[in-house]
Amino acid sequence: MTVEEREQRWTEAMRAERRGDAVAYERMLKEVATALRRSLVPRLARVGLGVHEAEDLVQETIIGLHSKRHSWDPARPFLPWLHAIARYKLIDFTRQRRRDTRRRVDLPLDDWLEMADPSADAATRSTWEMDRHLAVLPVGQRKIVRAIAVEGASVRSVAQELATSEGVVRMTLHRAISRLLAAANPTPAIEPLSRNAHDKHR
Amino acid sequence: MTSTDDLIHSLASTAGTQRSASFPAALAITGAASLACALLLLFSVIGIRQDFADMAVRMPFAFKVVYAGALVMGASVIALYAATPGAAATALYALSPAVILLACGAIFDPTGFPIMGRTSTAVAICMGRILFLSLPAMILTFVFMRKAAPTQPLFAGAVIGMLSASLGALAYTLACRNDGTAFVAIWYAMSCAIMAAVGAMIAHRVLRW
Repeated sequence: MTVEEREQRWTEAMRAERRGDAVAYERMLKEVATALRRSLVPRLARVGLGVHEAEDLVQETIIGLHSKRHSWDPARPFLPWLHAIARYKLIDFTRQRRRDTRRRVDLPLDDWLEMADPSADAATRSTWEMDRHLAVLPVGQRKIVRAIAVEGASVRSVAQELATSEGVVRMTLHRAISRLLAAANPTPAIEPLSRNAHDKHR
Repeated sequence: MTSTDDLIHSLASTAGTQRSASFPAALAITGAASLACALLLLFSVIGIRQDFADMAVRMPFAFKVVYAGALVMGASVIALYAATPGAAATALYALSPAVILLACGAIFDPTGFPIMGRTSTAVAICMGRILFLSLPAMILTFVFMRKAAPTQPLFAGAVIGMLSASLGALAYTLACRNDGTAFVAIWYAMSCAIMAAVGAMIAHRVLRW
């Protein structure tokens, strides 16, 4: 498909969305996701991020497209609009990853004092342990895991609190759990040497 | 991949619930409200210049209003550009009238008043008041920008800061006691620069989406 055809096809679908055509819109979002995946996977692999992260970013970009779709003017071309959003999300994502990495390897004063004075009782230790495990997750995922799995809130109430849909919350929870599982069972033999693998062995 | 498909399905089910947003209209309302707030602050806290009726018909006042107005117009057009993903960068030329006025005002000052103002504290008072008057605009324009889709948060924050300061300056023309065009050109622009820096600094916290 040439760029012009794609532009025309997706513009048509975006106009259909305004009219409430969910089927055409869903088909277009799937095509956008496929196109993004194809472009992002090798791009992220170059900086040591895996397919998992690429999929996270594809979802972030799709959510961004969806939540800002009112800013697209039907009289203007769609592809430059989508490009600006995809590029923003990519930059934001890599910046966020950098910050996460720094935070994970950080040595806060509390930990430093704990190391010098190991008299913390078992109760504080167990919450501290849990925090440490959850620290593997990015901030958004951690918030949702804590609310649902630790504090016992319902998916609906969490979705309302974060002003998103239940589908997004469920999906984020699912993603977080698979990431926690991956962190709990490191498989060094088959993992390629990447920043991702380094995180898991931490 | 299935979780992405689930996500897409749940997003697609809300198709048709959002209309096209008219950013120019929204920004015009925001700007008008900001200017009204700034004028309210001006009348209640600072007060207009005593010889206002006499001054209002002279050239320096006209220069101030036209210059601040050019800054507002330029910053508004650029703010719309920053608010819309994939917009054409030709919007940046909208600032050229203000730049030309700045250069002309600074170089060919017909009034001959000193650049630092009539008193030693003139610059600090003038800029401090403009920044003070631009605070409500800062809040309102940030609300506007959060509802829009800025894909360069730092730039969007800077433009918003500049727009706020120029709205503050436009209100302040009623009270400004310094009539030198060089003074006005340079220190109004400096206020915009300061507010642009402030906007850029808070943008990455406020404008993420």
